[in-house]
Amino acid sequence: MSENSGRFPTGLGAQFVRQGPRYALGVLLLAAYQASQYFFDTRLRAAINDVLGPHHSRAVTLGLTLIGVMLCAAVVRVLSRVVVFNAGRDAEYELRAAFEERLLELGPSFYRRMSTGEIMSRVTNDLAQVRLLLGFGVLNVINTVFALVSALAVTIPISGKLTLAALSPLPLLLLVSRRLSHEFYTRTRDNQAALGKMSARVQTSIAGVRVIRSFSLEDAELATFERTNQGYLDRSLALARLRGSLGPIMQITIAVGILVVFWYGGLLVLRHELDAGGFLTFNRALGRLTWPLLSLGFVLGLVQRGRAAYDRLRDVYVAEPDIVDGPLPAPPAISGRLEVRNLSFAYGSNHVLRGVNLTLEPGRSLAIVGRTGSGKSTLAVLLARLQPTPPGAVFLDGKDVCDLPLHVVRGAIGYAQQNAFLFSTTAARNIGFPLDEPDSPESQRRIRQAAEEARVHDEIAALPDGYDTVVGERGVQLSGGQKQRVALAMAFVSDPHILILDDPLSAVDARTERGILEAIDRQRAQRSVLLITHRVAAAARCDHIVVLDAGRIIEQGTHAELVAQGGLYAAFAEEQRIESELEKLGHNGAEAAVA
Amino acid sequence: MTQADTAPKSEAQKRTEKILAAFHDEERFTKSYDARLARHIWGFLRPHRVLIGVSVTVLLVTSGLSLIRPLVMREGIDKAVLGGDKQELMRIGFLFAGVLLAEQVLGFVHMYAMQIVGARAMATLRTEVFKFLHGRRLSYFDRQLVGRLVSRVTNDVDAILEAFASGAVNGIGDIVRLAGIVALMLALDWRLSLIAFIAVPPVALFVRLIRRPMREALREIRSRTSRMNAITNEQVSGMSLIQAYGRQDAARRDFDETNVAYRDANVKSIKWEAIQDASIDMVGSVCLASIIVALGYRPVSFGTVVAFSAYLSQFFEPISQLAQRYTLVQGAMTGAERVFSLLELGEVDAEPKTPAAPGNPELAVALEHVNFAYKPGVPVLSDLSLGIRRGEKVALVGPTGSGKTTITALLLRLYDIESGTVRIFGDDVVGLDRHALRRRFAVVPQDVVLFPGTVAENVAAGETPDRERVRHVLERIGALDLFLARDGGLDADVGEQGSKFSAGERQLIAFARALYRDAPILILDEATASIDSDTESRLQRALEELLRGRTALVIAHRLSTIREADRILVLRQGKLVESGTHEELIRHGGLYAKLHELQFSREHVVAPPKSPEAAAALPPGA
Repeated sequence: MSENSGRFPTGLGAQFVRQGPRYALGVLLLAAYQASQYFFDTRLRAAINDVLGPHHSRAVTLGLTLIGVMLCAAVVRVLSRVVVFNAGRDAEYELRAAFEERLLELGPSFYRRMSTGEIMSRVTNDLAQVRLLLGFGVLNVINTVFALVSALAVTIPISGKLTLAALSPLPLLLLVSRRLSHEFYTRTRDNQAALGKMSARVQTSIAGVRVIRSFSLEDAELATFERTNQGYLDRSLALARLRGSLGPIMQITIAVGILVVFWYGGLLVLRHELDAGGFLTFNRALGRLTWPLLSLGFVLGLVQRGRAAYDRLRDVYVAEPDIVDGPLPAPPAISGRLEVRNLSFAYGSNHVLRGVNLTLEPGRSLAIVGRTGSGKSTLAVLLARLQPTPPGAVFLDGKDVCDLPLHVVRGAIGYAQQNAFLFSTTAARNIGFPLDEPDSPESQRRIRQAAEEARVHDEIAALPDGYDTVVGERGVQLSGGQKQRVALAMAFVSDPHILILDDPLSAVDARTERGILEAIDRQRAQRSVLLITHRVAAAARCDHIVVLDAGRIIEQGTHAELVAQGGLYAAFAEEQRIESELEKLGHNGAEAAVA
Repeated sequence: MTQADTAPKSEAQKRTEKILAAFHDEERFTKSYDARLARHIWGFLRPHRVLIGVSVTVLLVTSGLSLIRPLVMREGIDKAVLGGDKQELMRIGFLFAGVLLAEQVLGFVHMYAMQIVGARAMATLRTEVFKFLHGRRLSYFDRQLVGRLVSRVTNDVDAILEAFASGAVNGIGDIVRLAGIVALMLALDWRLSLIAFIAVPPVALFVRLIRRPMREALREIRSRTSRMNAITNEQVSGMSLIQAYGRQDAARRDFDETNVAYRDANVKSIKWEAIQDASIDMVGSVCLASIIVALGYRPVSFGTVVAFSAYLSQFFEPISQLAQRYTLVQGAMTGAERVFSLLELGEVDAEPKTPAAPGNPELAVALEHVNFAYKPGVPVLSDLSLGIRRGEKVALVGPTGSGKTTITALLLRLYDIESGTVRIFGDDVVGLDRHALRRRFAVVPQDVVLFPGTVAENVAAGETPDRERVRHVLERIGALDLFLARDGGLDADVGEQGSKFSAGERQLIAFARALYRDAPILILDEATASIDSDTESRLQRALEELLRGRTALVIAHRLSTIREADRILVLRQGKLVESGTHEELIRHGGLYAKLHELQFSREHVVAPPKSPEAAAALPPGA
């Protein structure tokens, strides 16, 4: 679909390799850092013995050296974290970019299988777990190894027995932190879920405020909200309890180790098997082992979760797009002749279209009329390959649309859908969605023009910030009819060769409809129009009309021919006639008597 | 690449970006701590003041214990280890462990007590905001961004909680600890202390220097994260649109811009966090080495050295913590500002006003010279007068946009009228309690909304379902067997937005709900959606049952329903144009006769496609 496609590796191993040089640098830095700690500890012992002994002035130079070493160590520590964490963030960035690129390519069969919520959860929660694995996890595994080596190198020469005694709580520590890490993860997740549930509850309640008023259901709403609120309160306290007890549990476990050192080490000092400097140094070396060992349990859990989370990301990376570019090159020019030959289509076993044939010449207009469920909309989405169009059925300028590059087909065929989706951005940017630079003065002009043609300009101008009003699900709510007209304006702006309008007027009143139809008439000067509608007034303006019923074409011809035929279309026409008379009466009729 | 990199921004673009930035809630911290807001917050904390008192006391004890620990160590080293007293070593070892244990346990008690207080107070605040929102005028919601109101109830309240639970009160502990450390260090060795204190100004400066960029970085991460989630969600939801217009490249660019900004915000904070982490890690070692240098000139006892170095490494922690807490409190103030300024909003729903003198109580519903507009200058009802007698069944008909649904909204006083009077049983609605008023109506809206819960709960709508009564009303409308036949019967969950039920079944539930409520006046906005024939015949029977013995105002679309009515009111452009029985109006040959002809053609010539009436008839924001 694009030359950028697949610009980042998506394998976990491949990402390791890709970030390899930085990990290697991280290893060096961490080794240097732990070496400096070793240096500090061994010199410290000498310095303290000096201070306590007769040569205390010797400690001055040694102390100054140690300060210098520690300053350097701090710089190295900063660098090590920056290098490894940045590698993790870069890997996250690439994995996320690759994820989105794949999403843009995947077709309807994938989105039927995986809901928006499910996709969101993978790209947020799961990806965060993978990132922790690739950044924090890697850093801690390396650091723990070096810390252990460097600390043991200090403590074993001081006293092997004391080292063994001090490390005795280690297995317990690992077990405890492992267990807590798992618990912490589940409780955090539960807490997030409870918060999400509460947000959804508030959103539903605010969106449904009218109904709630009508039924005087405020108290009931409040009761439901309080239950959700209580649920969130419970979850957040459960998390706080665990978070709060993490410290104490860990500290107490460590305290056992310190106590052992204090008591047993003290004994060794009394027996003159250990000098005072050695005692203090031992304590310090043990102290700096604390955090790496503590985090080890967490890191192990993290690695495990990161790998499981990666598997869930992988489901998306390996999903196969069901609608892909055809083998032919992009034709130099498109005239816009559209032909459908014997098109049949089914969703599973549900046959929607059976043997449909039709032709749309450039600059002409075609109406497809039919009841709800007759297959009109399916036909529309198949033309632009928004569903998997069967090969050999739809032809653009004589070429099978399945053989052409997707961007050619979709660039040539503009499709305004019935259930308009709006992005949570400004009205102007929604209408200007098909444009590359929606904010340029030229685009602004086109957007306004399209809005006028779609008869939505006045209503947009009346919004609180006019064209800059944020609309969409989280913005100011537009009515169904307004949304449809915004979608229509979007289609006008996109300026395609063939414009497919899928019942763009189903929620629009008759007067507005007339204005829009006139605009569509003007559009025909520039392009062919395929209009899907149940309104006769709209269909009547088209050059040719096709009546669809249960997936088959049952009538076709011009408006006059079809009305004369007296079939389904004629029945629609009768209804339409009365409606328009009513309309006249409604607006210009003489004052009716009030009984 | 953003366009900003390639070209100067146009005025239009700048304006749009400003509005979008405001929409995406890119928060700005308020300048200073505001006593008024603190008073508001205290109002919610007050009920928990005993627990707060306990928590603060425990905090003080904990801070004291953390001060004692190094002293115990000093005792141990000087007397026991270097003094060679084995028994003393044992004693001090256990003392040390005891102090540590007590400190940790009490620390937990303090923290958890604070969490309980904060979380409970904020849950109350949240309920308060929720309740408050439901007391605003409906017209307020027509203009508001839903997402923003949701974040008032969730994110903003959470920000206050976070600051309170881990911020404000712990600050007291930090100050106590800092003071204690300074005092103890001075007592241990004042000359050595003074040397150590020389380090304070540079450290304080350093903390201050890295605080600001770090705070900025964190703030940026927060806003980038929510932007990241929003754009992902939107692209997935709008995928069909992106693909239909072949906007993948633009979508990828937009996404990449957000993704890069998100990564860069994180990378920026990595640097600062690493500096902070390394500084904390370094402080202890450097202090120790500095003391060694000092001791090179003037030796003191070894125990003092150990204790002193312990104090020194503790010394900088409260300083850096205090700065951090200040940031949290500022964040809370931003949240509080938003929440409490919302709570100061007027726009009360159906505020009681002085009612007009009582009218004729025999008229169940009366509108007298009513003028109404959703937007100033666009009148929807003009000088409209109508009345419905007790027990009368009236059908309201008229073309789209003639004001039918608006009339029902005004009876419930969902909106306030500009002039005129609306009466229920002779009483002016502005003098009635809004709940008392609305409970006199049973409403069946055109698009039935089912609430999350079971069938029985939906029938009982807001009350605890009385099962016998639920069965009884379903029986009366002839739908009991239909619902009992489903899995779970009356306890079946209706699913998200009632997704598990067909349009007809949802209508039946709405009818049952109206019967269950047993209100004197029924408002029915008949559905236009096509319904399968089996349910259709059930609905006909159900409707007869529903209308029996009740005053009813029906926005009718079906001929059969209209014919059943005692009287038909015909509306056009917010005015009553015809009124009478079916026969009278047909004879009159006016608007109704035309409407009837249309209806007739719809019902007898073709199966109707979904009517446009549904969406177009709703007032803005409905």
